[in-house]
Amino acid sequence: MSKRIQALLAVLVIATSIAAAQGAKTTIRFFHRWPLEPRKSYFDALVAEFERRNPDIEIEMDSVINDAYKEKIRVLVSSNDIPDVFCSWSDSFAYNLVKSGRIKPLNDLLARDKAFAASFIQSQVKPFTFDGKVYGMPQTIDGKVFAYNKAIFAKAGITKEPKDFDELLATFATLKKKGYPTPIIEGLADPWTISHYLGTMFQRYLSPAVTAKDYNEATGEFTDPGYRVVLERFQKIVDFMGPNATSITHTDARALFAAGKLPVIYIQLAEFGLIRKSNPDIQYGYFNFPAFKDGKGDPGLLTGAPEGFMLSSTSKNPEAAERFFKFIYEKQNAAQFVKAVGAPVAVIGAMTPDNSFPELIGAVELINGVEGSAPWFDNAVNIKIADAFMRGAQAVATKDKTIDQVMAEVQAAAKIVRSEAKK
Amino acid sequence: MRPYSQRRPGRDSLGPAQLPVLALLLVGFAMVAYPLFWIMMSSLKTSDEISLSMWSLPRVPQWRNYANAWKFGISGYFVNSLVVTLTTIAGVIALASLCAYGLSRFRTRWTRSALVFVMGGMMLNPQVCLIPLYGLLTRLGIRNGYLAMIIPYIAFRLPLNTLLIRSFFLAIPKEIEESAIIDGCTSFQAYGRIFMPMSRPILFTSAILIAYYAWNEFLFAIIFIDSNKYRTIPAGLMSFRDALQVDWGPLIAGMAISALPLILFFIAAQKQFIRGMTAGSVKG
Amino acid sequence: MRRNNVRAAAEPLLFIMPCILVLGAFVYYPLVQNLAFSFFRFSAFSPEKVFVGFGNYANLFLDKTVGTALRNNARYAVISVLCQVCFGLVLAAILEDRSFRRVGQLFRTTFFLPVVISISVICLLFGFIYRPMDGLLNGFLELVGLGSLARPWLGSSKTAIFATIAVSQWQSTGYVMMLFIVAIQKIPEELYEAAEIDGASKLRRFFVITLPQVREMFFVTSVITVTGSVMVFNEPYILTQGGGPGTSSITIAVHMYQSGFFKDMMGYASTLAVLIFGISAALAVLQLRSFRTGEE
Repeated sequence: MSKRIQALLAVLVIATSIAAAQGAKTTIRFFHRWPLEPRKSYFDALVAEFERRNPDIEIEMDSVINDAYKEKIRVLVSSNDIPDVFCSWSDSFAYNLVKSGRIKPLNDLLARDKAFAASFIQSQVKPFTFDGKVYGMPQTIDGKVFAYNKAIFAKAGITKEPKDFDELLATFATLKKKGYPTPIIEGLADPWTISHYLGTMFQRYLSPAVTAKDYNEATGEFTDPGYRVVLERFQKIVDFMGPNATSITHTDARALFAAGKLPVIYIQLAEFGLIRKSNPDIQYGYFNFPAFKDGKGDPGLLTGAPEGFMLSSTSKNPEAAERFFKFIYEKQNAAQFVKAVGAPVAVIGAMTPDNSFPELIGAVELINGVEGSAPWFDNAVNIKIADAFMRGAQAVATKDKTIDQVMAEVQAAAKIVRSEAKK
Repeated sequence: MRPYSQRRPGRDSLGPAQLPVLALLLVGFAMVAYPLFWIMMSSLKTSDEISLSMWSLPRVPQWRNYANAWKFGISGYFVNSLVVTLTTIAGVIALASLCAYGLSRFRTRWTRSALVFVMGGMMLNPQVCLIPLYGLLTRLGIRNGYLAMIIPYIAFRLPLNTLLIRSFFLAIPKEIEESAIIDGCTSFQAYGRIFMPMSRPILFTSAILIAYYAWNEFLFAIIFIDSNKYRTIPAGLMSFRDALQVDWGPLIAGMAISALPLILFFIAAQKQFIRGMTAGSVKG
Repeated sequence: MRRNNVRAAAEPLLFIMPCILVLGAFVYYPLVQNLAFSFFRFSAFSPEKVFVGFGNYANLFLDKTVGTALRNNARYAVISVLCQVCFGLVLAAILEDRSFRRVGQLFRTTFFLPVVISISVICLLFGFIYRPMDGLLNGFLELVGLGSLARPWLGSSKTAIFATIAVSQWQSTGYVMMLFIVAIQKIPEELYEAAEIDGASKLRRFFVITLPQVREMFFVTSVITVTGSVMVFNEPYILTQGGGPGTSSITIAVHMYQSGFFKDMMGYASTLAVLIFGISAALAVLQLRSFRTGEE
């Protein structure tokens, strides 16, 4: 073999060994969904601090954004390539992961460490509890509300928050008349934003029995005429958004709101910190999605669910993983999270007037005050159905499809989902 | 024979008849050059300047955009791209030249079938193998690592480069090899000491083609890699965009950093680059 | 060679085998496996596969998105051939014309530059160009008094696909132009001289000499361009969040990716891959033939 070939092979071997290299330390894998600032820096710092305090443990941290995370974590869990500590939504998304049998029940841990168990807002642990076992602990608590710019409302002479859907549309119409051609805008280029509207509106309009049957993979048909009504009403909101909505992202829309150029936005409480960061002076109020007069669902619920972390039941280093898991929820770390990110957390006492701001304190009061929470739609149903609704509503927004066509596609997707669930 | 355009001085100047065509060329020039200039200019602006005064020059050059882009992850993507590209070049050149030697110096039933086998590989579009490859790499335990990119890149670059190198080897006179064998060289020695050094031009051409492909490949890089640690520049820029959605300065600086190496390489080695790209006649 | 026959027969294999093995394992094996997968329904999340016969193939015909995607791929192909191949040839002929000799080099290099830039950089760049409220394109239109033409290029289903196609033209026209320049430089000067003596105009010389002489390159570039159009993935994936709004700018490769990795219908995605294979293999046979006959 010539020297040249040997050199080439050496390069290959080196590259291979780089890929396979493993230190002597205990390594645990941590996977989350926040490559975006400010959370990215927060978790970078959290991991660095943990490694400093535990020199024997090395944390391999990875992150991908929202939609990609949903996809990747399900693949990793199913392929038994599961990270030791990872973030998860609650409710049905969590339940789908739990069904794999590879998520560690935390009941033992909670029984051993009573103080840890008692450090959470208990209502927020429930969405991680299935068949009496707790599979994850909540970090952030969340909800989706309409936020409005107080100065713009005052200038347009709007004095009260809309109490029902008709009043909401009337409010938009007033704003439009008073010189705001787009009273509300959403980044419809991001399909998930559509699912947030539709999920809330389905919950408000349809009877709980209908959604319970349809959201179940084995029985969902989506034939209730109510879905059509909701899509029509969603389109009424979209009509106020102007022609640019389908080409901007939610981040763009939030930037417009924060800059004071947009009167109303449908937004997560967890985003309040981001608004504050780009414009600390903006004065805004917020209200829950108003009721439908003819709705059969409970208008008192708030769409949104806690997010938290889970542990793998197949971890090679369960003890180290557990140590890091608890570290995330330590009060000073949670408090630092509130300060850095500006999102409400489920750890009791982590939020103080020092590290948060009035809107955030109000947000927590809102969450504690509502009758209950409704899960995010794209987590509540099979992704094929969510995709048919999201892409479909996007096409309705650009006037390319009729609502009947969208419903036909949703029903076709539901048929596939049913047949897969039955096997 | 010199190319047509380089002969005959005189009567070459731009007359009034050429002016409309020249104007059109200049429009095309602006369409291509201005966006590239815009990247360079905007990479030195603040985010507000980029969105509010898109046409103006940077008031104060924001060099820290580059520092931030480098710090926020471009450096890692850069190293990954380098590792993947160099290893892919080494792997393809090694395997393809060995195979090309076998195909060009031995004429048996086997080598003829092998040639067809290699040529058949040219027909395959990598997308077609995406799903099985995903499963295969997972089962081999090398998905989400450098090898998950390197191995498929090598495999899909082999057919074209084997054929290119083979055609060059075929042109090397048989006598040179025969005299070496008489001197006591084995076939391997003939390959390593005679054929490879003599084939530098085509190997360089191949290396450029492979580098172009590996540096820019996107589909495999986003699907086979989960972890930020292994992402190459094209895939990394996507998560970079998501991470910096509101902070455009560093994002555009990151774009500039990603584009510059190949642009500089192209300008430095334009002749060889164009020879490589035309020899391949295959787009990334 | 007086060594034994086994050794002599094995020798070429030692050279050829590594390449053949890699090709077999990572190109041909996945191809065959993909064909097998297309007869099953399965999820990335479970090892269980359900045999569905030609069920996935039947679904190809029921799936309206396939039609939309193929139509978009066809638009890519037609526009790319017109813009890259036809316009690229004209561009090459102009830059190789003696009158433009002095400026030709600058234009050539500039037009070729986008080719060497990574597609994700280009797509991000065009993301900025197409932004509805503060993008370069709408900003430019307003600057020159054509503000009424400004629109949300990527957000309207009427323009999204064409805005996406335009990006590919911007990137690749220079590449095809360069291929034609190389081909034109090989045309013997005598042909042009003879035509010039006959008093043929430049336009006539282009049609009578240049065009017939680069006919093979014309064929090669057309095939490459059409093959590239079948594979388009990056532009819609990055620019329109996977073919939006709705499915208006989806291509067949994006549809395959979304069916498999987003909606978790791996079997159906494999069927779409077979469809892509069928189309691109037919085109590749053409390309392969030209590769063997053409010198470059």
